[in-house]
Amino acid sequence: MAATVLEIEALTAGYEEAAVVRDLSLGVGEGEVVALLGANGAGKTTTLRVISGIVHPMAGRVVLAGQDLAGTSISARARMGIAHVPENRGLFFGLTVAEHFRLGHRGERLDEEAAYRHFPALAELRDRRCGLLSGGEQQMLAVGRALARHPRLLLLDELSLGLAPLIVERLLPVVREYALESGCGVLLVEQHIQLALTVADRGYVLSHGELVLQDRAEALRGNRDLLMASYFGERATATLEADT
Amino acid sequence: MQQVLLFVLLGLGSGALIAGIALAVVLTYRGSGIINLATGAIAMLSGYAYWSLKTGEYGGVHFATAPALLLTLVITLVIGVLIEFVAFRPLRTASPLAKLVSSLGVLLVAQASMLLAFGTDQKPQPTILPQGTVKVFGNTVPEDRFILAGIVIGIAIVLAVLYRWTRFGLATRAASENELNAQIAGLSANRLSLGNTLLASVVAGGVGVLAASVTQLDTVSLPLQVVPALAAALLARLTSFGIACAAGLGIGILNSLIDYFSTKSWFPTDQGVPLPGTKELIAFLIIVLAMFLRGAALPGRGELVEQRLPEVPRPHNLMTPAVAFSLVCAVALVVLPFDFRQALVNTLIGTVMALSLVVITGFVGQISVVQLSLAGASGFVVSHMAVDAGIGFPLAPICGSIMAITLGLLTAVSALRVRGVSLAVVTLGATVAIVNFGFINSTWGGGNTGSPVPEPHLFGLDLGPRSAFRGLDGSLPSPVFGWVALAVTVLLCLFVAAIRRGNLGERMLAVRSNERAAAAAAVNVRNVKLLAFGISSFIAGVAGSLYAYNFGSVSADRFDAVTALALIAFAYAGGITLVSGAVFAGLISTEGLIPHALDKWFGINGNWFLLFGGVILLFTLIQHPEGIAGAFYKRLHRSRRPGGRGERGSLFTAKTPAPAAER
Repeated sequence: MAATVLEIEALTAGYEEAAVVRDLSLGVGEGEVVALLGANGAGKTTTLRVISGIVHPMAGRVVLAGQDLAGTSISARARMGIAHVPENRGLFFGLTVAEHFRLGHRGERLDEEAAYRHFPALAELRDRRCGLLSGGEQQMLAVGRALARHPRLLLLDELSLGLAPLIVERLLPVVREYALESGCGVLLVEQHIQLALTVADRGYVLSHGELVLQDRAEALRGNRDLLMASYFGERATATLEADT
Repeated sequence: MQQVLLFVLLGLGSGALIAGIALAVVLTYRGSGIINLATGAIAMLSGYAYWSLKTGEYGGVHFATAPALLLTLVITLVIGVLIEFVAFRPLRTASPLAKLVSSLGVLLVAQASMLLAFGTDQKPQPTILPQGTVKVFGNTVPEDRFILAGIVIGIAIVLAVLYRWTRFGLATRAASENELNAQIAGLSANRLSLGNTLLASVVAGGVGVLAASVTQLDTVSLPLQVVPALAAALLARLTSFGIACAAGLGIGILNSLIDYFSTKSWFPTDQGVPLPGTKELIAFLIIVLAMFLRGAALPGRGELVEQRLPEVPRPHNLMTPAVAFSLVCAVALVVLPFDFRQALVNTLIGTVMALSLVVITGFVGQISVVQLSLAGASGFVVSHMAVDAGIGFPLAPICGSIMAITLGLLTAVSALRVRGVSLAVVTLGATVAIVNFGFINSTWGGGNTGSPVPEPHLFGLDLGPRSAFRGLDGSLPSPVFGWVALAVTVLLCLFVAAIRRGNLGERMLAVRSNERAAAAAAVNVRNVKLLAFGISSFIAGVAGSLYAYNFGSVSADRFDAVTALALIAFAYAGGITLVSGAVFAGLISTEGLIPHALDKWFGINGNWFLLFGGVILLFTLIQHPEGIAGAFYKRLHRSRRPGGRGERGSLFTAKTPAPAAER
């Protein structure tokens, strides 16, 4: 594995006083695509939110390229090279496509051309307001904008939400390709397990906020039963094994 | 026709002033989501800064125009930074009402400190713009009107360009659409908010300095220009600089035209003088019409934490506190010296007034500034029925309350389409209109002197403050009126608590938290709102009758816009969702027990009290966004909670709000 971009150590996090993620450790290397899998409510989105600073951890550390992120604000983390594409796509409906690429923090110039290179369809929509784009176009803009920032770490939350599978099949390979050529680490949350595992290098499976399985993507892809069982938690796995 | 044109052109001056402040209001709202009631006050602060630098009032140095302007700019920027860090930033995640109240705190502090520093008399601001005149179609018009209007239009264009083309403008637009997404994109919401606050301060401050040719410099005229400016900003949906500027100029021109028409013989008069308050009435009607036609919802902000009003705990065990409170007050009304007795009566009336806000704002989430005016209307009805028709105690207050309910329901009709902070602006407009058109009118209001109110009698018994029984020290006011006020207060407190405990209260809270969801859950949102407005107007009407009897007269100045806003501030600081909060609000309200004690024991009165009040208000907001009563309740609640905070159950039990035993 190449140099580590992101390292999470013994993370516990949640909302109010209820922990949603417990004692989670994972890592993402340079140029690596890592899939974070699990059933609804397993804590995948929460993990991404902790990494980008929206949710504060109750315990544990988040380290970006050797730097502990504790106490760093959301926007400062973004400036350090984290690009988070949240479930709602993180776009601004009142702004045009081109304006999204001018919307950088101080001293930042977004590489608009890179986005158009990866998503040629966006170039024609330059002057259209984001609110008028279709769901797929919006998702392209969201990912394209994230890529244009040349991030060190890309967090993708449910790219497939509300989209036709065909579009997702086009989006994910772009991410894969980008990670390889730029060395950016990608942490991918996805419901389409098989699709995610075809582009990912490794996968982690969460169940009820705990890590129940981690392996190389091919291995996970190959062991469908174990993967399915892990979705239902360890106890389910145990029963499954007892039955067989 | 020529005359009409002249007045149109003259109106450009005050129009430019309104437009400039409106632009600053829009800027602040887009930058930080705050409706800044203190925008006019910033203009005033800069005006005073320039005046004192130019005339050498402080330090004795007479600055030339250019350095004085430069220093004024610096001072304005410092004021902007202060406001941002003291009043805006700590409340970033607070409810819109808390933000509104914090800007009110800024307004109070600014006004009080300027009164302390410069006194009440108007200052002739040295003019900066050239004083020549130009001939337009045979009219001689001062050219500064054109320059001023030109400057403001220029500012609007610059701002529009800034927001359209620059990165700062883009970032602000993005952040005002969705703050969280903007932060994820690496934009610092705090820095954007600061930038916009500074920009708004400079715009407002600049207008404040330049408007010298149009208005005098004092502590009232400039701060209150925020009311028409809010109307203009609201027409622009707090978004468009162009519309805000045009609407501001339009309102100025309209006002100038009304000035002209009021010199005509056909203009309605009231005892020889042109009907007062027509400007304000027309401004209000424009707001209502615009809001109604556009069904205008202000653009909401997608914020990090969903902003909510403080929680509304269900009151339990009503009888013990009610009986204890009644006994203590009843005895205190006899034992206390006369001045504290009066302060206690004022506190009781203030409590009733705040209760009306607890129902409408605390329970239903509608920010209504108009409640105090409803009380005033009721008071004037009581006065006029007695003086003009000789109808006295039980009937007059009942008619007064009916009047309050009628006006309140009229307001409610606009509230059916307008909600939240925009409702606050609409009701502020209504307040100004009612005070100027209704109360200052000498036929149906009180004119400049006020309107007398005779003592209330029932079965030959004098129940008023001049009743024969005079308490231990034998002076006025009589404890008898205090007892009447006490009985009314306690009954209304129990009434409001009962609403919260009943089915109606739950429907109100459903409407407060989400109107669509409430409608989907078979709550009739319209009826609940109308009922809530009716109940709260009734309470305000009762408070108004008490006011009237308490002071023996009613006059417009007790019900003006600033007092109405201060009432909201007191109610919010006390705890706007709780009956006990209304009691706290009564304690700190104008001429209540705490201000009286501060005056008596520490000599803090008048402007010093306003200054302290403003500072304490800001402090309370930052420390306890749920108000004093809310903070008390939380502390009490936490210590009662079995197991305390440390205990953490499974995902499901942890989310259950409170164990059943405690209810």
